Amino acid sequence: MFGLRRTRRAVLASATLAAGALALTVLPAQAFNAHTEVGVSATQIKLGITIPLTGIAAPGYNKIPSAMNAYFNYVNDNGGVYGRKISLVVKDDAYLPTQAVNKTNELILKDKVFAVVGALGTANNIAVARSVNLGRRGIPSLFVNTGYSGFANTKAYPSTFALFPSYIMEAKIMGQYLKENFAGKKLGLIYQDDDFGSDALAGFKQAGVKFDVSVPYASGSQSAQTAQGWVGKLKSAGAEVVVMFGVTTASGAALATSAALGYKAQWILGSVGGDATTLKAVGVPPYVLTGAIGASFLPAPTDTSDEYISFFQGINAKYNGGVTFDNNVLVGMNTAMMTVEALRAAGSNPTRAKLISALETKGSSFASASLSPIGYAKGVHVGYTGYWFGQYNSAGELKPVGGAYSVYTTDSGTGAIVKSTYKRPALPTNGLPSN
Amino acid sequence: MNKKISILAIGALASLAFTAMPTVARAADPACATVSFVTTCQGATSDGAAYVMQVPANFNGTLLLYSHGYRLPVDIPAGIPIVGGYKVVKLPQQAPDATVAATLLGKGFGLAGSAFPVQGWNADAGVKSDVELIGLFRKQFPTTQKVAAWGSSLGGFITQALAEQHPELLNAAAPMCPAIGSVEAELTMASDVLWGLKTFFDPSIKGHNYSAGAAGYAEAMGDLVKVFTVLGKMQSAIATNVWPDTSGPAGQALAAIPPRSALLMIGLMAGLPTQSPHFDSTTGPGSPNSSAYTSFALAASPALAILENIANAGVLGVMVTYDIEQQSGGPVIDNTGTDYSARVATESASFNAALSGNTAIGGMLAFLNPANPAAPRWSADPTAVAKMRTLASHTGKINVPTIAIAAVADPVTPAGNVQWLADKYAAQYAAEKAAALKDFLTTHTYVAPKKNFLAIWNPPAQSYTKFAATGAPITNTPSANGTDHCNYTDAQLLTVADLVTTAANTGHLKSGGPLTTEIRKTAGLSIDPNFRAPLLKFYNEQ
Repeated sequence: MFGLRRTRRAVLASATLAAGALALTVLPAQAFNAHTEVGVSATQIKLGITIPLTGIAAPGYNKIPSAMNAYFNYVNDNGGVYGRKISLVVKDDAYLPTQAVNKTNELILKDKVFAVVGALGTANNIAVARSVNLGRRGIPSLFVNTGYSGFANTKAYPSTFALFPSYIMEAKIMGQYLKENFAGKKLGLIYQDDDFGSDALAGFKQAGVKFDVSVPYASGSQSAQTAQGWVGKLKSAGAEVVVMFGVTTASGAALATSAALGYKAQWILGSVGGDATTLKAVGVPPYVLTGAIGASFLPAPTDTSDEYISFFQGINAKYNGGVTFDNNVLVGMNTAMMTVEALRAAGSNPTRAKLISALETKGSSFASASLSPIGYAKGVHVGYTGYWFGQYNSAGELKPVGGAYSVYTTDSGTGAIVKSTYKRPALPTNGLPSN
Repeated sequence: MNKKISILAIGALASLAFTAMPTVARAADPACATVSFVTTCQGATSDGAAYVMQVPANFNGTLLLYSHGYRLPVDIPAGIPIVGGYKVVKLPQQAPDATVAATLLGKGFGLAGSAFPVQGWNADAGVKSDVELIGLFRKQFPTTQKVAAWGSSLGGFITQALAEQHPELLNAAAPMCPAIGSVEAELTMASDVLWGLKTFFDPSIKGHNYSAGAAGYAEAMGDLVKVFTVLGKMQSAIATNVWPDTSGPAGQALAAIPPRSALLMIGLMAGLPTQSPHFDSTTGPGSPNSSAYTSFALAASPALAILENIANAGVLGVMVTYDIEQQSGGPVIDNTGTDYSARVATESASFNAALSGNTAIGGMLAFLNPANPAAPRWSADPTAVAKMRTLASHTGKINVPTIAIAAVADPVTPAGNVQWLADKYAAQYAAEKAAALKDFLTTHTYVAPKKNFLAIWNPPAQSYTKFAATGAPITNTPSANGTDHCNYTDAQLLTVADLVTTAANTGHLKSGGPLTTEIRKTAGLSIDPNFRAPLLKFYNEQ
């Protein structure tokens, strides 16, 4: 208890002033010292990521953290972000939602990270949002590695920023492609039977596409054995064109099993499960992939004419041991570059609140490898909004259909699909953001 | 599989062995004896509740009044699995266990506790007995200065009710693994389990609306047998993916869905935790890169965790339903308006794979739809419900410094009970703060409200499931800390005792560095203010 002597004129002090006075009295040190944010020191900004490094979904995705670190190390070698070096704490969630919750709690309580960046998986991010309460705590979760449309709901996920186009957008755009290129063909669909797949179904419905046969699979159940059942259903239904909306290991199982069983179809691979390097790594013979159609929002990782690809390949050679440069490496480095831009946009004395605000107000202008525009705005946490289609050649390279990238954009609702006129910002000088 | 039934009084009764007292003297004055510098008095309250009081020679003036948990109100025939042979024996209990009692006596605290005059859900009687016992203790030991109440499970409910109704008698309180709010919250959870088991796996389970008298007793005992039989069959069903032969219409309609997914659905509908004494829902056998590891961790472990947890909740469902119906005079459960789809909306995303995907989830929820005649809902008798609602309940008002502790994966009194109390207190504190600011405008003196509530969480380790060389899970080890019902270590219990007695003596909760240090030094505890346990489903629907 304490008393405040007042003159008569000051008697009508507001409750707000009173509260302020209390804070000053009780917490003088905190009140007068500059705020120090969790995970930010004079020399370091600590970030965290949960991602499958082990488990059956790990192949391919397990390359992302080292790719992110490669770019962060390059930035650190060039002065960091306002003099602070970025460190990334990597936690293996094995693609298990329960483990994602555990590991995110570790990142926050034990490692005390400033923000989570690039956490992977729809179910994992939903579980984390529910159990760890990132939004309530004001902890940013940047550039989640999933296209689940639900993360656009800023009431439910106030501190989460989607980066990838939503799966609804992808399916809508793919649906239009199907109608334009495969009218009259018998259509089949394999999809992950969760919110990832639900988005796909919603998008195809929006596009007016009906499949002659649909094969759902529960996440984690993909294997050569289960794929035999999928292929059997597709084959008996006579599907001539098959859309694959699953993770890469599911795509791999479907393609490899089709080849083994002699089932031939025109495959169309969703962006999640279409990384050629990973498909080869999980046992898909190159000839099986040849001719398949793929969708992407980033340039092809083999497209060295693209300045971002060329730059990132250089980083990969110098900082990432020269691993095979594929979509996952590209996603990792691109995410890292956008993270640096977001941190810079939050200013020289960053806080979690400033970081969220900076993304909302400045995020749409960030330099990024994506050929799609970025949708961030006040209250809008939707990142990329468009896709282009390509065809895999015998070397596993995804080449744009028609020879040049034609990006189509849309939204997750009933909006039209339009050809993008987006002009991508040039690569920052030396690949170092200066925003 | 370990089917430890924590809700029952078996453990509590066993723990009383340390009391080792002569025959209870049911008289106004207790019978006392001093052995090894500890004076133990035993007697009965005016309503016949046997009690025990213990005071060491170095009594420091602080009494810890303990309220024990739920004890079955009826004997259980010997032939019933696991709980068979239980007898209603009204033994008083003055501490959670013997080691804790001995340690606290060694520190100079006085201890007291009763058996309450009746068993079963007895919160009203429990509060009355506790009030009388405090007076008896003060009379017997006039140097008593402070009284801290603590209790486990239903005893935690009684402790909170005592603190709400008689703050003048207490200096601090510590409900541990408590049921909080009203009996309806617990009953809703337990009956959802029972209704789910009946609807999916054995339509012959009665589950509610037990008859009066001997017939109702026989029905309840029959249900216990059926519940355990179903759970036994589910052990093999999880491995074979074949529904139990008792399943009825659900087994035919949902045959394409693994029965483990239906079991998990029941657990999620009821709000049971998905970590259990031996299943962490994160670990599998063998290499983490193997499909066996992933499929076990992703799909099997959550179902097995529910199977372990449901053993507790199923017994709770039968016995508390029977108990409350007998007290209320009719059926009190009404799930005719329950939207089970909404109940699992969030969980079905997190446990999508274990539920076998959206198609399977949709199929199961469609089967549970009220319009499905194969899944009849339960209706309550309004008169019985009204009578049930006269039983003791909480407002959530915190009148004395209060420390509440909950295990994050407690399947009997889920951590959401403490969360409910924490939420109530957050609102109370905000109102007190606003009132203080308002007072300031007229008095020009700001008196900051005192922080009077602390929630302590007891989370399980991230990974604790163990496997034999064959890949089979090991289930004959002690329950993991943070799981099971009131499964605290003695160190954790003693930390709570220290915090509540310190608060009783200082008038303030420990805070800042001293609190953080004490919590950190006690393994398995957390006071993360941002941790949020899911509320019991009952509260989400209010």
